[in-house]
Amino acid sequence: MQPQPGDAGRHRRRSGNGSQSGRTSLSKDGVDGLRNTVAPLTAFRRWPRARLPAARIVQRFVRTNSFRLAALYLAIFIGSALLLGIAVFFQAKAALERDIEARIEIEMVFLRDQFQTQGLDVLRRSVDVRGKGVSALDYLLQDRSGAHLEGEIPAQARLTPGWTTLFVPEATEDDGKPERTRALVADLGGGLLLAVGADIGQIEDLEHAIVQAFAWTVGPAALLGIVGGLLLSRAFLRKVDAIGRTAEAIIAGDLSQRIPTRDTGDDLDRLAGTLNRMLDRITVLMDSLRQVSSDVAHDLRTPLSRLRQRLEGARLRARSTSDYEVAIDAALTEADALLGTFEAVLRIAQVEGKTSTLPFEMLDLAELAETVADAYRPDAEASGHDLTTADHPPAMIWGNRDLLTQAIANLVENAMRHTPAGTRITVSVGISAERVTLTVADDGPGVPSADLPMLTRRFYRAEQSRSTPGNGLGLALVSAVAALHGGEIHLWNGISGLRAGLSLPKERPFIGNNQS
Amino acid sequence: MKVLLVEDDQETLDYVSRGLRESGHAVDTATTGRDGLFLATEGEFDVLVVDRMLPGLDGLTLVQALRGSGVKAPVLFLTALGGVGDRVRGLEAGGDDYLVKPFAFAELLARINALARRPPLSDMPILLRAGDLEVNLLKRSVHRQGRSIDLQPREFQLLEVLLRNADRVVTRTMLLEAVWNFHFDPRTNIVETHISRLRSKLAQHDGPDLIHTIRGAGYVLRLPVEQT
Repeated sequence: MQPQPGDAGRHRRRSGNGSQSGRTSLSKDGVDGLRNTVAPLTAFRRWPRARLPAARIVQRFVRTNSFRLAALYLAIFIGSALLLGIAVFFQAKAALERDIEARIEIEMVFLRDQFQTQGLDVLRRSVDVRGKGVSALDYLLQDRSGAHLEGEIPAQARLTPGWTTLFVPEATEDDGKPERTRALVADLGGGLLLAVGADIGQIEDLEHAIVQAFAWTVGPAALLGIVGGLLLSRAFLRKVDAIGRTAEAIIAGDLSQRIPTRDTGDDLDRLAGTLNRMLDRITVLMDSLRQVSSDVAHDLRTPLSRLRQRLEGARLRARSTSDYEVAIDAALTEADALLGTFEAVLRIAQVEGKTSTLPFEMLDLAELAETVADAYRPDAEASGHDLTTADHPPAMIWGNRDLLTQAIANLVENAMRHTPAGTRITVSVGISAERVTLTVADDGPGVPSADLPMLTRRFYRAEQSRSTPGNGLGLALVSAVAALHGGEIHLWNGISGLRAGLSLPKERPFIGNNQS
Repeated sequence: MKVLLVEDDQETLDYVSRGLRESGHAVDTATTGRDGLFLATEGEFDVLVVDRMLPGLDGLTLVQALRGSGVKAPVLFLTALGGVGDRVRGLEAGGDDYLVKPFAFAELLARINALARRPPLSDMPILLRAGDLEVNLLKRSVHRQGRSIDLQPREFQLLEVLLRNADRVVTRTMLLEAVWNFHFDPRTNIVETHISRLRSKLAQHDGPDLIHTIRGAGYVLRLPVEQT
C-alpha cells in the first residue's frame, strides 16, 4: 500500500493497531488509561451483587449522596481534564509536524537548487555530507530505475513524488528498529528522485510525555476523589446511622433516646437537633396521654364503683317508686359528675394537644376578669366570701376567650371553694412591658408549701381539700390554658392565704414554644 | 312542631324521636347525611337536629349545602365533638345551636323549643310583658304592678332571656351561654344564685311567683294562670 499525502493521521492510527502498538498507539493508551481510572466507579456498583459483607458495606458507601456527589464532581473533573489533554495533544502535534515539514521543504528547495546549478555530483556529495551531521535529516537519491544512489534511507521501490512516510533503520538506536520518518519526495528532473525525511519519533516522544503527564495527574486525582468520596460518605453514613439507631431504639420503645449532636452546626447536626426537638414534643404528648389514661383509670374508678353501688343498692333494697326515684336521681347526679370529669379531662387534653382550630383574638384580660368576678359575686356573697376586683386599665392579650374565661373562673372557684366563709378574695390584673398577670389572692389559710407544686397536677387534691367537692382538674386546666397562651401559672403563699398568678405574654406567642 | 332528626346511631335516634313525639312534636328521621339533605330540602321543617358525624355526608357539609340551597330552618348540631373549635366550626357552617353528647333530653327539648320560636332580630319588641311584669328593653327598666324594680345588668339579661322564652323551659347551660357567654360548666351555683336574687327582687311586690324551677331541666317564666 502506498501512503498518500494527507493520509498521515489515518495511516498512523492504522499502524497503531498493528505490531507497533508499543510506540504508536499512545493516544489510544491515553483513552484506555482514562477508562481504567473511571472503571472503579462502575466496578463499585457491580460488587454488591456478589453478596459479600464487604461488598455490601461498599454498596452502602457508594449509595450515599455524598459519595455520589463526589463521584459526579470527579467525573466532571476528569472529563474536562480529558478535553484539555486532547486539545493540547493535537495542537502540539500539529505544530511540531508543521515545523518539521517546513524544515524539509526548505532543505528540498536548497538541494533542488544545488542540483540544477551544480549538477548531480555536487548534489550526491552534499547529500552524503549532510546526512552524516548531528540531528541530520534523512536523504535518498534514486535514479530512474529506482536504484539507490545516495543517502541513508535504504533502497526501496521507486517513490512517488509528494509527502509520504518511510521506515528508516536508525543506526544510533540500540534495537535498530526502523524509525518512522516523514519524507518529501521530489522529481528533480530526468527521472532523478530525491527524498528528504525527518524522524518523527520525537513527536511520538512528546505525545507519550503528554499522555503520561495526563495519566499521572488524572490518576491520583481520581484516586483522591474516590477516597475522599468514601471518607465523606463514611462520615455521612456514621451520622445517618446514628439517627437510624436512635429511631430504631425509639421504635423498640425507648422514647428517651436522642440523636447525638456535635454542635458543628452542619446540616445533619441541625436536622438532628430538629428531630430531637420533635422527639421532645412527642414525649410530652405521650406522657400527657399516658397521664390521662392512668388518671382516668385510677380516678374514675372510685366514682364509677360508687355509681354501681348505688344502683345495686337500689336494685336490692328499693321498695317503692319513690325509693327508685331517689336512687335514680343520685345515680344521675353521679353520672353527671363523671361526665363532667370526662369533659374536663378531654378539655385539658385538647388544650395541651394545641388544637390549631381554637379561635384566638385580641381581648382584654381585665374585662374578662371583671365578667367572671361579676358572675361569681352573688355566689361568693351567698357563701360568705368577699369577692372584689380592682379597677383596671385594659390589658390586651392574644388569646382564646372561652378558655381564658374558664381559667379565670377556675381560679376564682378554687379560691371560693377552699377557703372558709369570711375570706376576702381579690382579683387583680398587672401589666408589665411584655406580660399581663392576673392574680387571684385570698386571705384564707393558704396551702402547705409541699403541696404547691402538686396543685396543677391532674386529679391532685391537697389533703385539706379532700372533703370539698371538686375533681382536682381545675388548676390543671388553668396550667394547660396558660401553656397554650405561652404563659404559666404561679402558685405561692402570700402573707396570708394563697396567691394564684396567671402570667401571659402580651404578644402572640410563637406556635410551638413555651410548652414542655 | 315538625322536627327532622338526622342521626346515624339507632339508639340515640329512637330515644330522641320517641321523646320528641311524647312532647308533641312530629318527627321525621334520617340515618345518613344524603337522606337527611334530601328530606330537609323536600319537606318543611321547623327545626333540624343534625349529628356532626354521619356516614356519607357529614353534618357540617350537610348544613352548608342546606344553607346554600336557601333552607333557613334553624339547625341544632348534636355531636360527640365537644371541643371549643368544633363548636365554632359548627356555628360557622350555619348551625344555630350546638349540643354535645352525652346530653340530657330536657336540655335538647328546651333548646329545640327555643330555636323553633326564635324571632328574627328585626321583630324584637321593645316592650316585653308577662302578666303584671313589664320590661322595657330600650330603657332597660323593669316594672311590676307599676312599681319600678332595680336590677343588676346580669339580672336584667337573665330576665330578658326568660321572658323571650316565656312558657318554655330554659336550661342552666342555655342561661350560662346566653347571659354570661360561658361555654363551660362552672362547679358553683352561678345560675341558681342569680335566679334566686332575681326571683326575690321580683317577689318583693305582692304578685305571684313568675320564675319556676323545673327539676332536672331548668327554669321557666310562666304566668300563674297557665300554671294551673
